[in-house]
Amino acid sequence: MAKAAHAPLTPVQTAWLAALLLCAQFPLWSSAFVWVSMIGTALVIVRLLPLRTLRKSRLNGLLLPALALIAAVAIRVQFGYFLARDPCVQFLYLLVGIKFLEARTTREGTLLVCLGLFLAVTQFFYSQSLIAAFMALPVVVALGGALASLATTAPRADWRAQLARPARLTLQGIPLAIVLFVLFPRLAGPLWGTATDTAARTGLSERMAPGSISELSLSDAVAFRVAFLGPPPSPRDRYWRGPVLARFDGREWSALSRLKAGAFARREGPPTDYTVTMEPHGKLWLFALEHPVGLPHSPSEDAVMSGPMSDMAFLTYDQQLLSRNIVMQSVRYAQRSALRASVPASESDIADNLRLPPNNPRSAIFARDLRARVASDRAYIDAVLGWFRSDPFVYTLTPPLLDRDPVDAFLFETQRGFCEHYAGAFVVLLRAAGIPARVVTGYQGGEMSLDGDYMIVRQSDAHAWAEAVLDGKWQRFDPTAAVAPSRVERGLGAALPAGEPVPYLARMEMTWLKSIRLHWDAISYQWQRGVVGFNVQRQRDLLREFGFDNLHPVDLAIAIAGVALTWSLAVLGFSRLHAAQIDPELALWRHVCRRLARAGLVRRPDEGPLDFCERAAARWPQWSVPIRRVGSLYAHLRYGPEREQRAALLSQLRVSVGALPGARRLRAGV
Amino acid sequence: MSTITASPHWIAMWRQRLWRLAPADRDPVILRHSRIYILPTRRGLALITTIVIMLLTSMNYALSLGFALTFLCAGMVAAALLATFRNLAGIAVSPLVAGEAFAGGQLEFTLSLASGGDAREGIEVAPRDGPAIEVELPSGATRPVRLYVHARRRGRLPLGRVTLSSSVPLGLWRAWAYVHFPLTGSVYPVPEASPPPLPPGHQGSEARRAALAADAELAGLREYQRGDAQNRIAWKAVARGAGWYTKLFEGSGGSGAVDLDWAELPPGMDEEQRLARFAAWILAAERETRAFSLRLPGVHLAQSQGAGHRRAALIALALYPNAEAHG
Repeated sequence: MAKAAHAPLTPVQTAWLAALLLCAQFPLWSSAFVWVSMIGTALVIVRLLPLRTLRKSRLNGLLLPALALIAAVAIRVQFGYFLARDPCVQFLYLLVGIKFLEARTTREGTLLVCLGLFLAVTQFFYSQSLIAAFMALPVVVALGGALASLATTAPRADWRAQLARPARLTLQGIPLAIVLFVLFPRLAGPLWGTATDTAARTGLSERMAPGSISELSLSDAVAFRVAFLGPPPSPRDRYWRGPVLARFDGREWSALSRLKAGAFARREGPPTDYTVTMEPHGKLWLFALEHPVGLPHSPSEDAVMSGPMSDMAFLTYDQQLLSRNIVMQSVRYAQRSALRASVPASESDIADNLRLPPNNPRSAIFARDLRARVASDRAYIDAVLGWFRSDPFVYTLTPPLLDRDPVDAFLFETQRGFCEHYAGAFVVLLRAAGIPARVVTGYQGGEMSLDGDYMIVRQSDAHAWAEAVLDGKWQRFDPTAAVAPSRVERGLGAALPAGEPVPYLARMEMTWLKSIRLHWDAISYQWQRGVVGFNVQRQRDLLREFGFDNLHPVDLAIAIAGVALTWSLAVLGFSRLHAAQIDPELALWRHVCRRLARAGLVRRPDEGPLDFCERAAARWPQWSVPIRRVGSLYAHLRYGPEREQRAALLSQLRVSVGALPGARRLRAGV
Repeated sequence: MSTITASPHWIAMWRQRLWRLAPADRDPVILRHSRIYILPTRRGLALITTIVIMLLTSMNYALSLGFALTFLCAGMVAAALLATFRNLAGIAVSPLVAGEAFAGGQLEFTLSLASGGDAREGIEVAPRDGPAIEVELPSGATRPVRLYVHARRRGRLPLGRVTLSSSVPLGLWRAWAYVHFPLTGSVYPVPEASPPPLPPGHQGSEARRAALAADAELAGLREYQRGDAQNRIAWKAVARGAGWYTKLFEGSGGSGAVDLDWAELPPGMDEEQRLARFAAWILAAERETRAFSLRLPGVHLAQSQGAGHRRAALIALALYPNAEAHG
């Protein structure tokens, strides 16, 4: 063993290792820094070049530590920190290249196999799409090849065998892998902290400054998908409620930090039931149609209507659904909403939603003047919306930048803005007139899939609207709809003037490319639901479908062991079957023995082929020549012909067996 | 074996089952699951550790595809375990021949390996005290396997426990099995390095001396050894004080049958020296194609010639003082 570990790497082994490392590095190209991807991959390729000086270099002993140190420092400088997931992944990316550069022995080859394999898993930090899954398959193939090549010491080994055999083993292992995937217990939360890794996911945030939602609107990424139990609601009812922003600092809207539990809205119409499959966004909120009248729960469970708390989430006083855990993985929940519902406003609601900072003085004066001219709050609101509609306000993704007093500048100078401008300015105008109001962010809209069985809500559907207290109840107002009515009815692409940078899938025209993208989304949706979203909850649901409620870990271990045993026996049995097929001369010989036995001459168990054929030849002298020939050919084949002779001998044996008379003629010929 | 007989029966049975310490196997032994052990190699351990780390990472970050990749690799490692097991299982091992050798050399044992169906690759067969050899068995083939065991001391040399092992196909697992056949070879004593010439033959010492005078030429001197004939001692050298030497002559072989008699050796020689000298003499007699008889305490081989006789004589030397005939 020890001697083999220090055997030098052969060219075939080196090539397989390079293949494994490149396959592991490639999917990380898009998520690593450009210089890291370039250098890390270049290091692997350089090793393959026939550079004698490099291989013989005496510096090799120092090369690894020196390069590794440089890489670590460079990554530390680039990130500003080192001990977190992303810098470590990129360091590993470089490290495999550096280590490969100086690897000489099969032991180092083993180390590289392990590092490369781990690197392959890290790509799933960044994407778990179907494409990512396909990109991981070459890693498995290369892993098998690298292991097979490391296991043989022959310098010129057949790479095809090194490809085929591990591939067969992998195929044999797939049933076991599937069972483990389904049965292996999933965790509800992380084993160790992942706090530093929550940054940089697309989605809404708990703050809204001018430009934050329009930036989001440039993304085609899927926010969540929804399958409705009944018919989907009409487009103007598709308000997916997210973070509620009640605090305004004169420029930026943010959420109040109190997370009090609240009461459900009073239902005033039929409920709508649906199931949401949400992409991870690294935040707490779960989205529901306005207004939720139940808590999110596992799709297979019946709704628990006992109160505003459940295992999964709770309802806040401002009608937000907050998950108990940060949504770091795809989550699926059933939800009930009522499109017609009323939410009473409390004393504290009114107090919290009237505050305004002292800037934006023109808006305040405008609001007070306007309020003085109309009779009621409702008339005032209508007047404001009417002003938005009649004045030349423009709905655009690219509004001019606003510095001091941004609401004043927007309302009275530029009059060009996106939904966050309209919602923010609207709430400011209401508060200035003494009407409690707040900004609600979320998504508005959603596109049905091609066959209409689910709805896709994208980041480009991100939206902001307003709520105001009228007659003691919260009521929704969407000032954007006043400016651009088609935004609500037909989506972003219809509402924006031509030339705006609308994301591709949000545009109105149905091109073949868009249809392909929608088909692809249908596949992705299934993938997301079935594979990526297979978490604790889905696992429990699946087991319950098979009648296993709350499987104890011990039972689970026994089940896995049982499956492993069954699988082993199946694989061994299958190979036994397979082995019987690949032994042609034995099959022919058994055939001859059976025929002679039917003719009355049974081979004794200890009798060799030559002796037996001699006995047969003595019994049937007229056929002694082919009988003896079969015996000698079989004996020769059985006891070691040269490899190149085998085929010829085998065909001769076939011919000779064919020349033997049938059992009936043999019986008659005695 | 005393430890085994001292322990209770079932412990002895299990010890034998696990370690095959006693040469109790009867031919042919077919390697089955009860005999085959399997453990990960260092590379296998490294890979399993990596898979465990991958699993922990997937659990922590809830990476479904991480789980998938991890379990795919785990499935491959498990399938490799079965493949390694299968590479060994079903092989039929039978003992064929035990050879003979001079002490200090290599004793050859021959086993026969039959593939028993599947083709086998990279089967390593290793005796306890000798180099391992690698065997490949095509499907259905039977191959003789020659093992070489260090012959350290004169006497009987059992083959001992033989280990058959394999880490094919991926080198992640090593499967092994013990077989222990009652196969025993003989180790002859090391022939004396430069023995005195054969004792005079049956033509008598007179004739021999005459022959010596007539045609022998002095070929050289070598250091005196106890038991050298007095008339061969280089007395002149002794007189000069240069030390004791014995004269060597060309063509001093003489002819006719020789009697190799324990009693006729100088009385001061110890047993092993006597056996070494006889071994050298038996080889010399064969070289000179002279018949010889051998007389040891308790053993008498009548005068004869040829390979069979030589072998019988050497075995008698090997087994001395246990005089029973060798099978």
